[in-house]
Amino acid sequence: MAVDVLSVKGGLLLLPEMVLLTGILALFFITNLGDAKIRIPLTRLRIPALLGGNRFKWNSDPRIPGVVTIFTLIFAIGMLLQSLGDDCADIMQGFCSETTILTTTGNNPVHLMKLDSFSRLFELMFFLTLLLVSAASINRLQADSNPSNDDLEQLLDNRRQVDFYLLILISGLGMTIVAMSMNLFVLFVGLELASLPIYVMVAFHKETKAGSEAGVKYFITGAISSAVGLYGMSLLYLWSGSLQLTVLEAAWSAMETPEALPLFGISLLLVGFGFKISAVPFHFVAPDAYAGASSPVAALLATASKTLGFIGLMRILMIITLPETGDTAVWMFAFGILSVVTMTWGNLAALGSENPKRMLAYSSVAHAGYMMAALVAVAAWRSGSFAETNNNGIMAAELIVGAVIFHLFVLISFKIGAFMVISHLETESDVKDMSSLHGLAKREPIIATSMFVFMLALAGVPPLAGFMSKFLMVTGIVQVASADVLVNTNVDLVPTILGMHWTFFLAIAIFINSAISLYYYLRIGVLMFFEESSTRLPLPKVSTLRFVIFVCAIGTIFFGISSDWLVDSVTNAASALFTDS
Amino acid sequence: MSSEISVEFWVATIPFVPLLTFPIILFLGQYFNGKDWWKNTLKEGGVISLMSMGIVLILTSMVVAQFIGEMHHGQGLDIIDWITFDVLRSDGMTNGVNLGFGIFVDHISLMLLFVASFLCFLINWFSIGYMNTDKINDNRNHRFYAEFLIFCSGMLGMVLADNFLWLFIFWEIMGLCSYLLIGFYYEKPSAAAAAKKAFLTTRVGDVFLMIGLIIMWNIYGSLEFDIIFGWNYFTNPVDMTLLKTALILMFIGAVGKSAQFPLHVWLPDAMEGPTPVSALIHAATMVNAGLYLVARMFPIFTGTADGGLVGDLADVAIIIAIIGGITAFMAAGIAFVQNDIKKVLAYSTMSQLAYIFTGLGAALWFASKGKPELALFALGASLFHLFNHAMAKGMLFMASGSVIHEMHHAHHHISHGEHEGFDAQDMTNMGGLASKLPITSTAMAAGSMSIIGIPLIGGFWSKEGIIAKIWKAAIYDGGYLLFIPAILLLISAGMTGFYMSRMWFMTFAGKPKTKVAEYVHEETPWIKFPLVILTFMTLGGIVFASLHFVSWVSEGHAFHYDLIYEMKHAFLAMDKDGVIDSTFLILTWATIGLSSLIGPIVAMSLYGGRLKEGENAIPTVSWLVKLSGIVRNRWQFDNSVLANSGLAEALRRRLYFDDFYDWICIKLVVPIGIGAALFDKKAIDGVIKGIESGSQSASTWIRKLTTGSARDYIMMVALGSLMFIGLIWGMV
Repeated sequence: MAVDVLSVKGGLLLLPEMVLLTGILALFFITNLGDAKIRIPLTRLRIPALLGGNRFKWNSDPRIPGVVTIFTLIFAIGMLLQSLGDDCADIMQGFCSETTILTTTGNNPVHLMKLDSFSRLFELMFFLTLLLVSAASINRLQADSNPSNDDLEQLLDNRRQVDFYLLILISGLGMTIVAMSMNLFVLFVGLELASLPIYVMVAFHKETKAGSEAGVKYFITGAISSAVGLYGMSLLYLWSGSLQLTVLEAAWSAMETPEALPLFGISLLLVGFGFKISAVPFHFVAPDAYAGASSPVAALLATASKTLGFIGLMRILMIITLPETGDTAVWMFAFGILSVVTMTWGNLAALGSENPKRMLAYSSVAHAGYMMAALVAVAAWRSGSFAETNNNGIMAAELIVGAVIFHLFVLISFKIGAFMVISHLETESDVKDMSSLHGLAKREPIIATSMFVFMLALAGVPPLAGFMSKFLMVTGIVQVASADVLVNTNVDLVPTILGMHWTFFLAIAIFINSAISLYYYLRIGVLMFFEESSTRLPLPKVSTLRFVIFVCAIGTIFFGISSDWLVDSVTNAASALFTDS
Repeated sequence: MSSEISVEFWVATIPFVPLLTFPIILFLGQYFNGKDWWKNTLKEGGVISLMSMGIVLILTSMVVAQFIGEMHHGQGLDIIDWITFDVLRSDGMTNGVNLGFGIFVDHISLMLLFVASFLCFLINWFSIGYMNTDKINDNRNHRFYAEFLIFCSGMLGMVLADNFLWLFIFWEIMGLCSYLLIGFYYEKPSAAAAAKKAFLTTRVGDVFLMIGLIIMWNIYGSLEFDIIFGWNYFTNPVDMTLLKTALILMFIGAVGKSAQFPLHVWLPDAMEGPTPVSALIHAATMVNAGLYLVARMFPIFTGTADGGLVGDLADVAIIIAIIGGITAFMAAGIAFVQNDIKKVLAYSTMSQLAYIFTGLGAALWFASKGKPELALFALGASLFHLFNHAMAKGMLFMASGSVIHEMHHAHHHISHGEHEGFDAQDMTNMGGLASKLPITSTAMAAGSMSIIGIPLIGGFWSKEGIIAKIWKAAIYDGGYLLFIPAILLLISAGMTGFYMSRMWFMTFAGKPKTKVAEYVHEETPWIKFPLVILTFMTLGGIVFASLHFVSWVSEGHAFHYDLIYEMKHAFLAMDKDGVIDSTFLILTWATIGLSSLIGPIVAMSLYGGRLKEGENAIPTVSWLVKLSGIVRNRWQFDNSVLANSGLAEALRRRLYFDDFYDWICIKLVVPIGIGAALFDKKAIDGVIKGIESGSQSASTWIRKLTTGSARDYIMMVALGSLMFIGLIWGMV
């Protein structure tokens, strides 16, 4: 179904985004209301102008922006669930949505956005991420903006809070646009709308040298990558005359022999997204940015920002360039190598990192590698003879893409959780090296246990959520790689392995890398539980931050044990991605 | 919600009740460690665990009542689905392979469920009397009860599991608890060694079991009972050789768990654990796990007869029966010369379990030969014997615990705490206790009679059934190899009569052999109660028999009161049509004669005797003591030649099995172990250390590339883009 984006119906479908816009305006107005008066010229009459002046008592609480943001996001989630459409009667059976295409007005409408299970699920993920981050920041901003100054009024600088939350909401708006985009132009606009506020947020901690430096570096490198990606898009436009994904897809499959223009364009586009997901060698700025930014922002970088890149990758790789059955995708080999390099590089670099935030940054590079390997397996599935459906009626490709989405979803729980624990430590003093974690178990047993749970989940230990996602990805890869062999031969181990598609070795690489990564994840546990710290005092009380940590821990365990709902949801999303309409 | 569903729900909660209680006990015990908390009993967790077991018993009774009311046949119910496997596909299957934990209740599991929860409850009760009054246990009883409860949940879970995987998991939980409980007095070197021995020996069996299960998985693509028993999904032809291998390997697992030849060496040593543990784990419940596993295989064997499987599994059944026969004979022989009261019982356990194995072997043999009625009868008789034996042996161990406890206290009283050089378990220190321990001696007499198979008492009904069926299999159906177990069982019946009587008379009849034995008296009411209950349970065998227990456990027939039928069947070897089979008549009376006349009389003449002047036993056993006195006066003979012979020495050395295994370990396993350790240290550790230092230096090198200057990063992006484009270009 195609709907005009400027019609009432189109507006209703975009209700969550409308809510975000309203939230942005509300944030702006509410915090600026004051007792300023305008004197009408030549009279003594003063009319309240409301904007400016001293704030009223009710809106002078510095927590107001955070609260407004949280309510906006909750309201947006509600609107999202409300505007899913009729396709799924029961959301408890798995998240899914009606498929609707939003187009421009006119006789020859251009497809701009697509609302389906895929984009809606990602919208949900973005909202959840931002919700957690903004909830965690409520106490945090006041605590660390200037620890040496005890003046509460100054600490709770309201204006600064507004800036932060405005950036969060604007970036959220960009993210949802990326999730929905069916057009490279819209995709790019959304991407930049989401990225620019993040660049600012990285540098938000302007009192420290590291913060501003990180922000500038991140911005420069990001701008260059965006430019490269944009150049790729323009090449594609030159070639096909359209930026619409469906048109590009048709043109791609109509292409008899490889042509230079589209190949070059696609490669550059992939480089642009490679930066977003921090694939090696485009990842270099990531550790600097994570370490310089405040922890909630780093959490945002590691989850939402990375998700943006993966949405772009999936749109390009799975929609435009995935060939018909039997052919090899052009990017398969390059991506396979890149994935192995990325995961190995990330894990090795994390091994020696002494700064916990850098360690988490490298760990997130490694996770990007795992997910890229999974995407390669989809291409292998198309090129192999195993295109039939498996037992449960899920195509292997859907299973794998579903696994990647699953991973991105559960990252919200444990990646954010881990950063939040560090954020909690930062409320006390700067976290420069691992010594801040020493003896945490004695000071804050529950926080330390949660941190350990997050580490185990990152390492992929059952029964936590990280295990399920890694398990699903490896299952998908092995299933695809072994399909050709298992269909027609007796099973003997060595010939079977040798006869497998080379993507099987991606699974092996994931195994080996998981083993390497255990070292540095478990080391955190050792530091927290067995090292002595200089103090036995508990950390400062920051209630919402703690609440967020607990929510993340519960989510990590919950999605590991009872993942049915999420598996169904991501399967819906993955099949929506592959459905043409 | 219908009543049926609610029952299934209650069944599912049974294993979780003890599982949830054990952390509470551990916590309270640690929290109040060294402090007085209301009463020590509460702190030490006995009462809490008793309540938990009480809940289990009530739930079980509800389920049994429901079962009797409605006569369910096998019902499976999945309660937790964790992962659905898609990778490991089996061609014969339409559904995904499921690893969920489910509940499976049928007559076999229900019987074992009842036995387990009933005995756990009583033994828990007993432990409160036994463990909590001993100074040596101060501040660690919570550990005992916690381990006890995990064990219970393992046993209950194993019985209820609906697939072999979960069965195996719970099986191992029991193995762990057995290890922990045997080594409860870990500061005693002998206890620590015994725990290790038990753990390692059963582990040998478990490894085989695991391999067997893996083969089963390979055959069926699943370990669900539904699928393996051919009730669902599975229609492909089965490779019979593979299936046989799997079944035999699984049987080896059962052999280890149930202490059968040749993996029996751990059970006597396991008596180092506290007596309630011996009663519970090593007599009444855990050792039944192996029997349960074999009984669970029953539907596979019937599959050969009704066409579900092409081929014959009779070989497996014969192996099971022969192992049973050998163990029954061997263990009875070793029990002849044991002087430790608990070790006699341990060997008796081994021997009786072997009876059940033989009975199951006969059942499986009939099943694979397509004689379902006989098969079901043999299965029923075996399970009935399991029931009788569990009740009787649980009680015997508790009674022996009572004896040991009182001996210990008496000695404590006399020697004022000097324990060196006195063995409270040695029967040569006892004698004439019948007057001092009235309830214990009565209970022990009842239990021994049940084990011996004195007519009309508990074990008689089932043992007679087993012997008849194995002979029937041997004579009429051409299973000539089955003559081996058949003959061995018959002889063992007589031997049982001897060694059980020997134990009783050495302990309770005659004059006190030491001063300590004169000071013994019964004290704790906590100890008496379970003994009384179980005495009735044991003597009530006649009631169970007449309720058609055999048919009930084998098939789930409605049962009815028919004593005369059972009597005719048992004593006159009469079949359904009222025809008396002379062979079996002879056999029956030979069994009765051997076990209840010859065996006990020989024992009486050697070890019997009247009590000391002025002592009077309780009327329930005084006749027995007097009888033994008469027999001894009349027929006493000198057995010193036999007792000093090489055979007796060999038996005392447990037929050199332990020495043989030790020799193998020292000559073979230890050198391999040393070699492996060397290899591990030099080769594997070297490689690992190499990887470690290698990746550390790689990490340092890699991180050097992160220079911190945006200019370098951009150069890297540019280089990367070039490489990426090159790779894509190169592929086209």
